[in-house]
Amino acid sequence: MISSDVIRGYNDTIILYLLLEKASYGYEISKRIKELSDGKYVIKETTLYSAFNRLLKKGYIESFHKEQTFGKKRTYYNITETGLLYYQEKCREWELTKEVINQFIYHSAERQ
Amino acid sequence: METIENYIDNMFASLPKTEEMKALHDEILANMEEKYYELLQDGKTDNEAIGIVIAEFGNMDEIMEAYDISRDKKKDSKKLLSEEEVDAFLHSNRIAAKWIGMGTLLCILGSAMVVLFTGFAEAGYMGTSIALTTGIIFFLIVVALAVALFIYAGMKMDKWKYVYQQIDVEIPKLLKDKIAAKKQKEHPKFVTAIIVAVVLIILSPSILLITIVINESMVIFGVVILLAIVAIAIHLLIYFGTNRSAYTKLLEEPVLDRKIAQKNNRIHDAIATILMPLAVIVFLITGFVYEMWHINWIVFPVAALLIAIFSGAYSLFSKPSS
Repeated sequence: MISSDVIRGYNDTIILYLLLEKASYGYEISKRIKELSDGKYVIKETTLYSAFNRLLKKGYIESFHKEQTFGKKRTYYNITETGLLYYQEKCREWELTKEVINQFIYHSAERQ
Repeated sequence: METIENYIDNMFASLPKTEEMKALHDEILANMEEKYYELLQDGKTDNEAIGIVIAEFGNMDEIMEAYDISRDKKKDSKKLLSEEEVDAFLHSNRIAAKWIGMGTLLCILGSAMVVLFTGFAEAGYMGTSIALTTGIIFFLIVVALAVALFIYAGMKMDKWKYVYQQIDVEIPKLLKDKIAAKKQKEHPKFVTAIIVAVVLIILSPSILLITIVINESMVIFGVVILLAIVAIAIHLLIYFGTNRSAYTKLLEEPVLDRKIAQKNNRIHDAIATILMPLAVIVFLITGFVYEMWHINWIVFPVAALLIAIFSGAYSLFSKPSS
């Protein structure tokens, strides 16, 4: 399990990635996160919805209502053009972060 | 599932009850519900499923931060009235009451003017047409003045609308006690004023009888005096009644539900805004068309009474018995 502190800056990126696949709603997204991370990261409900709210405010995603098969109305989210640009920027940022942080990580392979 | 619902209800209990929060609550509940049933399907026990679902709920602080809700702000959204504000409110209310009372007094005195000049004409002091014209001009000036007073009073009270509608207003217990003491102190004055006004209204027709007994041709001046007495009585009723209602308003238990408060006030406003202009229209028509100046002032106290009865009855029946 990853601590939510570490991953905080990248929740938006994770959600945007999943919305790039298809429009989705809260539970489906959190389930996909669990699946793709092999159960190593479980996003909390409050984290997920704070992120939705933030992304909506910035115009990176948009929401719409959709009836589910068993009649329940759910809020679905869609990524926008600017959301896509932001996502790409975050990807580049991550590459850079990874590179920098890696410099300070003790790699067992290098010791050999 | 009930455990989960209760848990979420508790979590959202301290947040403002907005549509936005309601939607968020429902959305998260639906997610947790779905997760819960899937966990049961995967063979988890009820307790395990509930445990996991609740553990994965998270922290409400995140929501408050994202939605710009601070705990302080939430408290502040209920405006705590200070003593100065209460005094200012009562002061404005008193001034407004004075002007409304004066306006009504003027309307009635205006009609008395018309009667007075008709009396002059009948007594032969003036020509009929001159008397009538002067009377009506006086009347119109006075009514215009009264309308101006009504508008001024309305504007004076407008900024206290939130106190009247009791929207997110709270009065500290200590201040409430002070207000109650003040109300108690003014109570004898209020009772005296009401008694005086009622006695004046009841006794006013006797003036007519007296003038008839003294000199039958003076009866029209009797009507003028009667109108003047009634005008004073109604002024007393309005002034003290409005003052009294301001105290009552402050001491009332605040209506918890803002929607109910607004509904109540809407109904009261609707009745008042329809009835008062209606009363003026009836007053003018009965005066100018039917020449009923001697009696048509009665529409004002009747309208005021009707407003009181309607809004009183409404709040009485809509109030949950405590």
